[in-house]
Amino acid sequence: MGTASGIVRALNSGIKHLAIKRFTLRYPEEKLKFVGDGYQFDPSTGVGIAGLKGRHMLFHDHCTGCQLCSIACEGVAEAIAMVKVPEEQKQNKKSIMPQIDYGKCVFCGLCVDACPFYALYMTNDYELSSFSKEGLIYTPAQLQVKPYVAQDSEIQISDRGATHG
Amino acid sequence: MTNELPPGLALQKVDERIMTLNVGPQHPGSGHMRIIVQIDGDYIVACDPDPGYVHRGEEKMAEYRNYITNIPHLERPVIHDSCNVLYPYVLGAEELLGIEVPERAKYVRVIASELNRCIYIMYWLAIYGIFLGHSTMFMWPAGDRELLIDLMEKMTGARVTHAHFVPGGVRNDLPPNFEDVCLRQVNYFEKRIKEYAAVFYDNPILIARTQDTGVLSRQDAIRYGTTGSVLRASGVDYDLRKKEPYDVYDELDIHTNVMKEGDSYARSRIPWLDMIESCNIIRQALQKMPKSGSVRTKLKPNPKGKGLDSVYKRVESGRGSLGCYIVSDGKPEPYRVKLSVPSFRNLIALPNLLRGEKLGNMPSVYWSLNYWPVEADR
Repeated sequence: MGTASGIVRALNSGIKHLAIKRFTLRYPEEKLKFVGDGYQFDPSTGVGIAGLKGRHMLFHDHCTGCQLCSIACEGVAEAIAMVKVPEEQKQNKKSIMPQIDYGKCVFCGLCVDACPFYALYMTNDYELSSFSKEGLIYTPAQLQVKPYVAQDSEIQISDRGATHG
Repeated sequence: MTNELPPGLALQKVDERIMTLNVGPQHPGSGHMRIIVQIDGDYIVACDPDPGYVHRGEEKMAEYRNYITNIPHLERPVIHDSCNVLYPYVLGAEELLGIEVPERAKYVRVIASELNRCIYIMYWLAIYGIFLGHSTMFMWPAGDRELLIDLMEKMTGARVTHAHFVPGGVRNDLPPNFEDVCLRQVNYFEKRIKEYAAVFYDNPILIARTQDTGVLSRQDAIRYGTTGSVLRASGVDYDLRKKEPYDVYDELDIHTNVMKEGDSYARSRIPWLDMIESCNIIRQALQKMPKSGSVRTKLKPNPKGKGLDSVYKRVESGRGSLGCYIVSDGKPEPYRVKLSVPSFRNLIALPNLLRGEKLGNMPSVYWSLNYWPVEADR
């Protein structure tokens, strides 16, 4: 193939893309759709359930204060600290529950694998930015709240290329 | 009539003509490393690669953590190829701890590993394109990579550092309806990367810039111990997926791509051909995978090795053969973890390739080595 025809072919290949739909996602207006309700783990079978590894969710009625999640995080990120639960909230035997510092967390989900009481799951919430370091530390009361995550966009493939729609 | 040099130049001795140039570590053309280049005019006389700027002590860290907590930090050297970086460690730990892996988990691992290989190569291709001044080749791979990252996100729950492989299988089962989505996106991805031929690989400008630059002969490629795409571009048919099949690669039909030229063009074309082959492997694995069954063997809380024992396992990663040597002394933590990384092996060939080249050819030769500085430094 000659030089001129090669360059024409390369240009032509680019020009064809004028007719193709836009692939990029307009992020704050559109948000990606995920499978499931976040990463979860079933200790009876020892296998996880697929989902996004986002912000954790703590079920206060299941947590016994056994510290296994905190031990699992040692040597990974050391993001989990066991803190005293205020008296007006639901208590467990030791009255301690995990508090997670998202400035340190690497979202590996090994703490979820370690929990034998179905008390710690992960959710689809990934927008955790904050103006201060203290704002990244989530107390047990904050971890109890189930987040609302808008999900409206998925990769669609048609004859005119792939789009987020 | 004689060719008289201008007065300033004619006086110079050979030593004064040679200039030392530091490329990196802040220069965007080098990644996190420095290449000390000595140039005579426009020609490179000698070159001394100087890695080590991003050393993190991964191997030492592994001695203080148990077999499970080692997983999130051992995938950090190459976050785009995190499943493949973890693969030899997981295979070795399984042998040391005596764990059987379910059949379905092996197929899930093969799919995750091939998707990761494509994700890595797409990222590398984007960098290779932009350093040759081809900005279309930066935009297209960076965008099309999203198709595969989306699949990994559905499969593992994270876009880059997945922490998906564990001794005994994988962390979680595939989400419902994953096979159909995976097949659709991988087929479209393959169609897209085949379009790169016209705009990049058959482009006369690229061929003029990369052909016959940095030629690595077959003998030298073997002598320096290069691996992966660099070795295959020099005419040696060596792919660990075929030579030493691990998990279920022996049940899949794998074709390796070999080119004889050994120049920069061949080294940049081989990873692209590998991606098309990876798409074939993913399709085969999806077809042959058992439709149901366990994906993870249940482990005891703190698994220990059986006395003094050692194991060496290696896999074919996105850059070449990646080995992991683990020594166990019967404790929950490994006694020693040593990573033998392809990036460092390929870098050894660089001084030989650059000698006598023009300085302008340095990016095309350097990036064609499929080198990832963070992995080489560990």
